[in-house]
Amino acid sequence: MNKVSTILFALAILVILSALAAITFGPADIDSTQLLNCLVGTCQNQIANIVIWQVRIPRVLVALVAGMGLAIAGAILQNTTRNPLADPYLFGIVSGAGLGATIANISLADNLTIALPLAAFLGALFSVVIVVFIAKVLQRMEQLLLAGVAVSFMLASITQFILYFGEPFATNRVIFWLMGSLARVEMSNFYVIASILIIAMITVFALHRQIDALLLGDESAASLGVDVDKLRLLMLGICAALTATIVAYCGGIGFVGLMIPHIVRQLIGVTTLKLIIGSALIGAIFLIWVDVIARSSLPHAEIPIGIITSALGSIFFLFIMYRSRAIT
Amino acid sequence: MSTLLNISGLSWRVPNKAILHNINFNVSKGEVIGIIGPNGAGKTSLLRCLTNQANILASKNISGSVQLKNRPITQYSAKAVAQHFALVMQKNDTIFALSVQDVMKMGLLPHKTLFSLDNDHDKAQIALALSKVGLSHALNSHFNLLSGGEQQRVLIARALVQASQILILDEPTNHLDVYYQHQVLQLVNKLNITVIMTVHDLNLASLYCQRLLLLNQGELICDGSPKEVLAPKQLSQVFGLPCQQSVDAITGATQVSFYLKDTNIRASHFAESLSE
Repeated sequence: MNKVSTILFALAILVILSALAAITFGPADIDSTQLLNCLVGTCQNQIANIVIWQVRIPRVLVALVAGMGLAIAGAILQNTTRNPLADPYLFGIVSGAGLGATIANISLADNLTIALPLAAFLGALFSVVIVVFIAKVLQRMEQLLLAGVAVSFMLASITQFILYFGEPFATNRVIFWLMGSLARVEMSNFYVIASILIIAMITVFALHRQIDALLLGDESAASLGVDVDKLRLLMLGICAALTATIVAYCGGIGFVGLMIPHIVRQLIGVTTLKLIIGSALIGAIFLIWVDVIARSSLPHAEIPIGIITSALGSIFFLFIMYRSRAIT
Repeated sequence: MSTLLNISGLSWRVPNKAILHNINFNVSKGEVIGIIGPNGAGKTSLLRCLTNQANILASKNISGSVQLKNRPITQYSAKAVAQHFALVMQKNDTIFALSVQDVMKMGLLPHKTLFSLDNDHDKAQIALALSKVGLSHALNSHFNLLSGGEQQRVLIARALVQASQILILDEPTNHLDVYYQHQVLQLVNKLNITVIMTVHDLNLASLYCQRLLLLNQGELICDGSPKEVLAPKQLSQVFGLPCQQSVDAITGATQVSFYLKDTNIRASHFAESLSE
């Protein structure tokens, strides 16, 4: 086994161990023997059994796939736009989701369990459609990122306008939702995110050479037979669907897509196949543990997960700037 | 020699300007062709049309035909075109830390299916191509940290992995010092494949190309051997400077020198006399 596969193998084992360890954290006291017993179906404590299967496992599994999804969305966007700062959040996906959630909160307050994720998803897709439309009209697919930033601010200002004049209770709900949390996730959320994740992974595995070809420039990729615009659009669509679904269930969890691929590039490599697998694994480990911090650092409350990822992300950002200053 | 490429009646008009005007020429297998001409003459535009990049020939501004092996190039898929043409561009800066190996692997793309991974045969091909350009030791180096000449050689090696029959180079000697200019062009000559390149330096073009195409304002002014194309009268008209042809004592190649207008001394002497 070469160095890269050794690292990936070790990371895969770490993902499994992290997930198992994360199940033991929480208000109800569950130790590792109880956990193992309940996992293999020989549980003596009925309450522990219910907590594990209905609360902890769905939550850890959603953290796992959400971490994977956000990280690979970032990795795909960074490689297809050749921009190391590309992130699903910069494409207006989250502000679109925020607008959708706000409208749902204000107008459909009775049916929020279904309406909120759905509206957030539609909002996210709406913003991506606008971003792509603008880039198409300008005939410059390389300016997707700038268009994304513009759309992001536009949608955020609409959201703030609605919130400012909206009912305070609904406003609070939206603000808390935007901070991100895995407290209300269910097993069904895991299945939905996982299926989109699998579709995204298969597509990237199929097209990994094409995406790699983009790394040396659009002209170079075109000369190797790649339809650059089509490929970029397809990848953006996949990232949008992935992020929108995750944001719809978990709220705003920023910086994962920006941070994780950077670590992977240092550790494993820059080409797409390595980057995607590495990002998926490290992203999963990262979000599982951040969620553990979110639910166990305060005695009787949870910290919204997005606050922690943003705090870590901004420190990380400064660290990257410091490092790149050291290189040049 | 069999005809690989046939360009006939190729024109590219935009409002108020002809980028290319009625270009006709053939390319035979094994030729090394240099495209020369002043800035804005249409050299790079012509290269883009030859490879039908981004399906440019479908544009309504472009008329005429480019035939590859007696079939319109527009009938080839992008992948098939990539199997015939390899392109070495002027600038290739990537922001990510790509290794030479990563860049070389890109050359495999036109021959690979979806999902495919690299096999031992691919690795052997990459090693062989790198050894042909004298960079076997650089397999794991960072592409961005190589010198300009080494980067050009890696891209030429990538073109070898791509196994295309025609190598297209856009200003391969730009930004290179004299040593690397000659090294890259000698390498290109030794590969025994068909080469079409744009070259700014007329004396380098004359030394390393069997055939030159002189473009000016979108028109093909002259197509022939360096001696024919670099005729002083013609060059003076195109470049707007008086010019004289000579034969290099060592290489035997046709060489040209330009003079500044209205002076009878060489440009370099002129500069010297100014600085004194």
